[in-house]
Amino acid sequence: MEKNYNYVILVYDIGEKRVGKVFKICKKYLVPFQKSVFRGEITPANLIKLRSELQKVIDKKVDFVALFKMTGDYVFDEEVIGVRLHNQEAMLL
Amino acid sequence: MAKSAPTTRYIRTPGTLGREDNSLTFRNEKGITHIPINSLKELYLLNEISLNSKLFTFLSMANITVHFFDYYGQFRGTFYPKEARVSGKVMLLQAKACLENRLPIAVAFVGAIAANIHEVLYHYFKHGNKEIKPYLDWLKKEVPDLLPKIKKVPTLLSLEGEIWRRFYETFQLILPEDFVMNHRVKRPPDNPINALVSFGNTILYTKTISQIYHTHLDQTISFLHEPSDRRFSLSLDLSEAFKPLIVFRTIFEVVNNRRIQVSKHFDKKYNYCLLNEPGRDVFITAMEERLQQVFDHGTMKRKISYLTAIKYDAYKLKKHVVEGTPFTPFLEKDRR
Repeated sequence: MEKNYNYVILVYDIGEKRVGKVFKICKKYLVPFQKSVFRGEITPANLIKLRSELQKVIDKKVDFVALFKMTGDYVFDEEVIGVRLHNQEAMLL
Repeated sequence: MAKSAPTTRYIRTPGTLGREDNSLTFRNEKGITHIPINSLKELYLLNEISLNSKLFTFLSMANITVHFFDYYGQFRGTFYPKEARVSGKVMLLQAKACLENRLPIAVAFVGAIAANIHEVLYHYFKHGNKEIKPYLDWLKKEVPDLLPKIKKVPTLLSLEGEIWRRFYETFQLILPEDFVMNHRVKRPPDNPINALVSFGNTILYTKTISQIYHTHLDQTISFLHEPSDRRFSLSLDLSEAFKPLIVFRTIFEVVNNRRIQVSKHFDKKYNYCLLNEPGRDVFITAMEERLQQVFDHGTMKRKISYLTAIKYDAYKLKKHVVEGTPFTPFLEKDRR
């Protein structure tokens, strides 16, 4: 049985022509973390949607998208050195 | 610990909220924040935020409820996307239950208030506060005896009033001196504890609206409160059993741990008392944590959060009006 993945870290390397499109798709589902890195909680159903939307846009011969799938945000620790994008995940804005 | 995008966002700084690339973007003096539309369920706008109708159609498509508050923290209304789950059958049965079978349901709500208050205060009794014993006994023994004897809704409401009044009186035994409440004052609250109670109740009330939205129930047909116009009174009913567990526990927690202090977190202006911005932040964060807190549910046999428990209460009520299964609101003692 496949696991229920609920948390994703997504990184991409996309040709200049399509990078905007990919950015737009990703920010519907995940929170921007760095310029080409997204992450956040996601439901298994939304993960399928995200994947299929990305597959339509990218050129599979040139572009690169990686999804690090995790069962929750409690399975890893994070360390940031240097400037950080301002807090996009805050509950209170 | 990595953070994830919350399903509820509270916006408290002035700015512009807009639709951009089929997702949400919030701009203020700090910069741009991208809010992923697919992880969002609710928005709380606690300040003056600019929006346009284009955004509303978009939020409606994504089934997101938006709650509006004014400068004073007063609840002003909810943007309620076109009813996604309407069922004429359930609505008719709900109306029928309200006309013919209102009292037993209302009694169940009051019984749950008493049981849950008992559960909350018992903690303080257990830790050496013996003075609240008479009230606890009254809740545990006399109220359950009184309830089945009640024949009319107004008598029931006066009993409910009595329960709350005596609950507020116990505050002087468990809270620090500057938070003692003489009596409940609403619209506008004039002392710190009343301000906290009002704000907390409002947040819970709006949370319940969002939860009922995901069921077939009609928001205006209520049982304990008079089903009147202009208000979603069913949400007042359903939030009642959770008030002691969520609102008052949060208040006791932030006040007794000195996370909220009278000198730092309140504005006293004109004749009333308001939570200021840092105070609101502390309170909302504490309350949100409590709503998300998970526990083993007795009958569900899995872990659920208080927020889900509110939705299950709505499901239970629906099952009661449709199939006639007995209705008991969420009771803290049922959790395992």
